Amino acid sequence: MSSDDRAASAEGASAVKERRPLTAKLDNGLMVVYEAMPWLPSVSATLVLPFGSASDPQGLEGTATVLHEWVQRGAGDLDSRAFSDALEDLGVRRGGAANRESSSFNLSFLASELEAVMPLLADMVIRPRLDAAEFEPSRELAVQELESLDDAPTQRLFDELLAAFVTSPQGRSPLGTAEGLAALTAEGVRAEAARVLRPRGAVLALAGGADWDRVLAAAQAAFGAWEGEGPEVPAVAVATPGRRHVEAESSQVQIGLAFPAPPPGTDEAYVHNVVVNVLSGSSGARLHTEVREKRGLVYSVSAFYRSLRGFGMTLGYAGTTPERADETLEVFLAELDRLAAGVTPEEVERAKVGMLSSLVMQGESSSATAGRLASDVFNLGRARTLEEIISRVQSVTVEDVNEYLSTRRVPEPTIVTLGPARVPAAVAP
Amino acid sequence: MTLDAPTPLAGEVAQRLRFDKAVLPNGLTVIGEHNPGAASVAAGFFVQTGSRDEQAELAGVSHFLEHMAFKGNERYTADDLNRLFDELGAQYNASTSEERTIYYGAVLPERLPRLLELLSELMRPALRQEDFDVEKKVILEEIAMYEDRPHFHVFDVSAPRFWAGHPLGNSVLGTRESISALTRDQMLAYYQRRYSPTNLVLAIVGRYDWDAVLDQAERIAGSWPTFDAPRERPPAAPATGREGVVDPKLSRVHVAYYAPGVAISDPRRFAAAVLGYVLGDATGSRLYWELVDKGLADSASLGHEAHEDQGAFVGYVSSAPERAEEVIARYVEVLRRAQDEPPTPDEWRRAQRKLATGLTLRAETPLGRLPSFGATYQSLGVYQSVAELVDRVMNARIETAVELLQARPFDSGYVFTLGPGQRA
Repeated sequence: MSSDDRAASAEGASAVKERRPLTAKLDNGLMVVYEAMPWLPSVSATLVLPFGSASDPQGLEGTATVLHEWVQRGAGDLDSRAFSDALEDLGVRRGGAANRESSSFNLSFLASELEAVMPLLADMVIRPRLDAAEFEPSRELAVQELESLDDAPTQRLFDELLAAFVTSPQGRSPLGTAEGLAALTAEGVRAEAARVLRPRGAVLALAGGADWDRVLAAAQAAFGAWEGEGPEVPAVAVATPGRRHVEAESSQVQIGLAFPAPPPGTDEAYVHNVVVNVLSGSSGARLHTEVREKRGLVYSVSAFYRSLRGFGMTLGYAGTTPERADETLEVFLAELDRLAAGVTPEEVERAKVGMLSSLVMQGESSSATAGRLASDVFNLGRARTLEEIISRVQSVTVEDVNEYLSTRRVPEPTIVTLGPARVPAAVAP
Repeated sequence: MTLDAPTPLAGEVAQRLRFDKAVLPNGLTVIGEHNPGAASVAAGFFVQTGSRDEQAELAGVSHFLEHMAFKGNERYTADDLNRLFDELGAQYNASTSEERTIYYGAVLPERLPRLLELLSELMRPALRQEDFDVEKKVILEEIAMYEDRPHFHVFDVSAPRFWAGHPLGNSVLGTRESISALTRDQMLAYYQRRYSPTNLVLAIVGRYDWDAVLDQAERIAGSWPTFDAPRERPPAAPATGREGVVDPKLSRVHVAYYAPGVAISDPRRFAAAVLGYVLGDATGSRLYWELVDKGLADSASLGHEAHEDQGAFVGYVSSAPERAEEVIARYVEVLRRAQDEPPTPDEWRRAQRKLATGLTLRAETPLGRLPSFGATYQSLGVYQSVAELVDRVMNARIETAVELLQARPFDSGYVFTLGPGQRA
């Protein structure tokens, strides 16, 4: 390492040390969290509320998705058109969706517009118009998104996989059901809005080129008058492992696997994430090497960690043509079994290096940083510093990983396949 | 016309950036955008080759070759390369388009020399027969995967028809037939025709030491032999009208739309891009209000794509089969009408600001900035900072859009449908 390199490393490290999320809880219970990235001209904001398919009333599946769309169609004094124009006048880029146990509204904009953007974001959840004329188009859009799933087999696979694996309401698709969407009424969804659009339990996360005083003042001014308590997120429950095939006309068979993993933020979750990265963190990882590089069975194969509140899971995916589906699944399962024999120090080192540099690189993006903060506060009740996450990943040793793998075998996965014909042998019950 | 000055913050960042450039004796161009505040550095080889440089019997070779580059050479096996990239903690990948193949990665700054070394190994692949045979299966799986994604597939099927024989219509993936028939020797010959240092740009964005980069580039790439790698740029006569393919497996109708646009070298491309946002951005555009807002389609978009010597407005809409005719008619009508009702100042300003915000956000990370930095330089031979791009967008004039619309591009639109056909 040259002296230049050392200087560069020191600068990089101190940059990480200076990254501190600041958190405030407003009197109404809304959690506000912010991480300054003063070199950026932009700010990204994510507002997360604890409603989603898990909070949809029984028989009215799809409520959250329709509500998420409807609240964006006019708020405060502005009708749908005027509200959209107001955001676009400020150059705001918008995103977000209703998910399983939470829904998000994401806005990115130039830092100079912060004070103008916050009241518009707040109006969506505090003073949505929910005009009758906008209800049918909002529902119609949700119906079309649901129908589009038939032409998106990978997305459909994951919906089917989570429905098979998660038995608590989080297992329902955020897209809802045709029956649920048909049963919705404007009055019913308005009542749901009054129930779920509440500050207690919600998180407003921001990151970018503003300072904390400005952010907090803008958040307080915009959201201070909001009141009430949002819905409780139900506890997660999972099914006993099983196998299922969903028939669909497609060129490839979609293969999905799911099994439980340690809850987010725990020591075990850090170790588990290293394991997942040994399996699938990169092109040199085991799944890519065995399934794609050596055998050419797939273009895409992966395993990854996903969390719900208080619950972690590992999901696996492979897509391959029908005649090779058996072999693909066999090789995938063999790689899960092989974990019991342990991993090498080199594998752990490579997995960690990849995780660490990806943390630093995601930390350069305002929207990725706002997303990380929001998910931390929502799932863990607090925002970890980048430094804390980095040092906890760094502290995982090969001994930790092998001890974890020897005491806790990979659980039998729930397996769902989706494709043109029932896959024989390997997925027979 | 009023101008919005870039925000002071954007200006400050711009002042800290430095553009570096050198051309090695063998013709390899090395460029850098130095940002002392970046926490990472991204680097990539931009090869000016893609599906437009393929004859019919080679369809898909550029993309297949991109895969083969990761299979190693005399020095490294594929496993070695994967392992070495992993040891750097590199986020790395490659992509192939009609015009360009890019091999790129991002690492923490102290690891840049090793990243550059590995990227340069990718440029000298062995193209071993046994690797070629295994990777052919992967490519065929990739083709099958995209067949299951009709919102991509519709463009693969329709582009050759719209471009009507112009090489910009060539499929990047190729077909099952072309890939199955392709030989390793054909790929080698293609590589030897296209991967000349004169046809490559090495681009670097983020925190780096320029002198060290240049020394290393000379050491690594200085001996690569130079040859001519010309590209054909025939005139285009794009199709108009409507065609379609029936696929009974599908649930929805997927529609690709094309109309003539302007090339990347045309200064009107900024106005064309803003016009694309006015008409077809995902939110708040004319197509959004006509189709998505009303719940008639779940997606309706249009954007302007500027290629080296040609350009096109390219759009997409999907709909339930029973409503497809109405949706297509409304989609086309929005665009036709725009020729007589050009953007209002309000619409124009909103589109400009959204475009400017998007440019700024993408440039937050070195890896996000790299593709446009390298590609713009490779296509135009000029450096454009993000601040300058934002300025160009904010200074684009409605009058230029009016001029583009007066050529009535949407009277020559081309509509292609991929859907289940008539339902019983």
